[in-house]
Amino acid sequence: MSVLSCSGLGFRVRDAELLNDIDLEVRLGETLGIVGPNGSGKSTLLKLLAGLRAPATGEVRLGGQRLGELSRRSIAQQLAVVEQQADTDEAIRVFDAVALGRTPWLSALSPWSSEDDAIVRQALHDVDAAHLSKRTWRSLSGGERQRVHIARALAQRPQILLLDEPTNHLDIQHQLAILREVQSLPVTTLIALHDLNQALTCDRLAVLDHGRLVALGKPLEVLTPQRLLDTFGVQAHYLTDPFDGAQILRLRST
Amino acid sequence: MLLPRLTALFTSLGLCAFAEAAPTQYPLTIDNCGTPLTFAHAPTRAVTIGQAGTEMLYALGLGNKVAATSLWFNDVLPAYKTQNDKVERLANNEPSFEAVIGKRPELVTVEFEWMVGPQGAVGTREQFHELKIATYLLPSDCEGKDNRVGADGTRLEPFRIDTIYKSIEQLAQIFDVQDRGEQWVTELKAKLAASVAKVQQKGVKQASALVWFSSTDMNVDPFVAGHKGIPDFMLSTLGVRNVVDSDEEWPTVGWETIAKANPTFLVIARMDRRRFPADDHEKKLAFLRSDPVTRNMDAVKHNRIIIVDAMALQASARMFDGLEQLATAIDGYDLPK
Amino acid sequence: MTATLIRTLLALGMLSLAVLAGVAIGETPIDPLVVLQVLANKLWGAGYALNPIDEGIVWNYRLTRALVAAACGAGLATCGVILQSLLRNPLAEPYLLGISAGASTGAVLVALLGVGAGLLTLSAGAFVGAMTAFALVVLLARVSGTSGGAGQIILAGIAGSQLFNAMTAFLITKSASSEQARGILFWLLGNLSGVRWPSVWLAVPVAVAGLVVCLWHRRALDAFTFGVDSAASLGIAVRRVQLVLIGCAALVTAVMVSIVGSIGFVGLVIPHAARLMLGTGHSRLLPASALGGALFLIAADVLSRTLIKGQVIPVGVITALVGAPVFALILIGRRNAR
Repeated sequence: MSVLSCSGLGFRVRDAELLNDIDLEVRLGETLGIVGPNGSGKSTLLKLLAGLRAPATGEVRLGGQRLGELSRRSIAQQLAVVEQQADTDEAIRVFDAVALGRTPWLSALSPWSSEDDAIVRQALHDVDAAHLSKRTWRSLSGGERQRVHIARALAQRPQILLLDEPTNHLDIQHQLAILREVQSLPVTTLIALHDLNQALTCDRLAVLDHGRLVALGKPLEVLTPQRLLDTFGVQAHYLTDPFDGAQILRLRST
Repeated sequence: MLLPRLTALFTSLGLCAFAEAAPTQYPLTIDNCGTPLTFAHAPTRAVTIGQAGTEMLYALGLGNKVAATSLWFNDVLPAYKTQNDKVERLANNEPSFEAVIGKRPELVTVEFEWMVGPQGAVGTREQFHELKIATYLLPSDCEGKDNRVGADGTRLEPFRIDTIYKSIEQLAQIFDVQDRGEQWVTELKAKLAASVAKVQQKGVKQASALVWFSSTDMNVDPFVAGHKGIPDFMLSTLGVRNVVDSDEEWPTVGWETIAKANPTFLVIARMDRRRFPADDHEKKLAFLRSDPVTRNMDAVKHNRIIIVDAMALQASARMFDGLEQLATAIDGYDLPK
Repeated sequence: MTATLIRTLLALGMLSLAVLAGVAIGETPIDPLVVLQVLANKLWGAGYALNPIDEGIVWNYRLTRALVAAACGAGLATCGVILQSLLRNPLAEPYLLGISAGASTGAVLVALLGVGAGLLTLSAGAFVGAMTAFALVVLLARVSGTSGGAGQIILAGIAGSQLFNAMTAFLITKSASSEQARGILFWLLGNLSGVRWPSVWLAVPVAVAGLVVCLWHRRALDAFTFGVDSAASLGIAVRRVQLVLIGCAALVTAVMVSIVGSIGFVGLVIPHAARLMLGTGHSRLLPASALGGALFLIAADVLSRTLIKGQVIPVGVITALVGAPVFALILIGRRNAR
């Protein structure tokens, strides 16, 4: 059953076609990785799936309904986004930044409650940022800021989580921890990744090349040495890790 | 203090009546606001910038030498209406430099230095003199006044009435009509003396006044006459105290301050210009009578409001008419002794 | 809830004291006892025998001025908060959208060229000018922008302001006598002297309505902290909110400018000062800025009338003289906080 899907999706900026004829169906509960070289359209695809941009062609469907027919608020209650770059000049406290994630659930009739407090604290705990709770935004490092963004998305309690290269600024310990945390959540996840070895841990992978979807399937089936040469321009072969039998990619330049 | 001055005035009037004015000797050189002007003969064509100068030339019988006029504040005096209708009006406000020289004048009379001067809106004096066109600035606007300082220029000393007489006498000299000029000056001096005498009998020792020119908007702080300017001169000549304390010619003073000062009577200006709503004297009256504070002022309650032409509040021959108006109005009031 | 109630009462108390101070202090000295007696007479018919001029001054001049100063300060500060939050720019302030420049041009057209032939007052001309300039700025932003980002409208606002300021300067130099120019300049720099009760019935409801509309959208304003996309992903109908709030800011600012002229720095400095003291949540930032703006402008008006005896300094000059060093201090404070 598809919770999020798109058909014939296309996007263009002036004359450049950033996405061309994308058909994708995201399955309930899966972790779908999106990989591709820079400029292949990963961010654009995520923005279109989240409804942050209007497609030039095609449509996106959330839970069977066309995205354009849903209100922003109802979309936000099902879907959360972690952008690649979102920053602010304001001296906002970390707790308040994460608390913004509760916005789609608050209204005049249901104001802030202790339950919202608990959800925010849990989200901070999940990204190992509970100790940062009272710090101001300006005092955080790049990696800490990224974790707080993820916490905000978690606080939204979405059914679907879209993450655009969330591990870019993180040190390796936090990269692995975030990935593990995200995959263990009972939410459907779309995650754009740079590190191909990390991508191997996803349920399925979609490979984008110059705005086209060139492969979709299990990671080991999709990231073949031929694909890695054609799309990514690198020589690759698989190694088996004797520690737990996992497959690892070894990459060399051509 | 006024009495010895009056005596001297009457005596000189008597003497003047017997003397005959001499014709002008050309070439004539006079110093005008720091610039020497030389005339080989009486000018045959003149352009005026400023109603004061225009009406002076008409009064001296020189209307046929006026090629064009500009800068008007009120309708022309009825006596000169037919004469004025024959003369081209370049602009109601300031004319352009080219429009003026296009009339090929030999002389340009200028009422304000900010029209023709170092920062002249029309041009500088040098621009005209290069084209052999003499510029005559009325002495009232440059003698004892620094026009580089302050929005309307700043008077360094209180306005002196002789600058008006000087304007008339010098213009008469330039155009070789000195007998007409002297006669007119005599008439004006007599008018002034009569106004002063009328008010003296009234006993206006305790009277105070305010002169209201206009305001940017109906309710905001008005432009009122300060010390050293022409309206202040008129008031002090009649022995009336100006309630405004400023040395600027036309400062803005709040209605609160004016109401508390509670002047004995008010003088408001009538003009044809309609830039600000308060230019209309009817609107000024309506405001004074309806505003919850001003309507309680003594002057408004007892209707001691005198309406005077704006031209009469400037350095021009009409000032004497204004003085007469003020004197007559004051004479009619029932003032507390 | 009680904490909010206490804070609200405290705020209203401070506001009342400030208004009282504005009524008691003015160009001419009036005995504070007389001031209180006038208020007693007018508010509950106490029947003291008082000089009608004093009564008129206190009730019709000073009280109205204090109330309009409060409304204006509150309105401009609120608009400053919205624009800084929506446009994501700490230098944004109500006049950014070309409103003040347009108001000046409108006022000058009425005063110097007699447009409207004496039927349009200076204020009406200013309002029309303000809304025209704003419409042009929005048009320019739409025509030149792709996603309607903040950068577009800021640039369009700067261009619009430059254009209208140039027109104002041209009109003043071409057609004004020095007396007219001075009068216009005085009005343009901010002037509360023409205020009477009709202005109060306009300014106060507009300021209150503006604050209420913004408070209604306080969560949406918070959601803009990390940018437009972030707000959209948090469920905010970005376009609608921008339209409503910027339109509201334009309207409130245009009304205020048409009543009192251009009073700068209030919309820029007060929101920053409020943020420094209270943090970034709009549910506290908005009322705090409104209160701060009201108090600031009442104080500025009192200063403008009492600093030099017998002369009134335009309020805009006072707010700039005070606002500029305060703004510098805020900037230094922000830098040190890094």
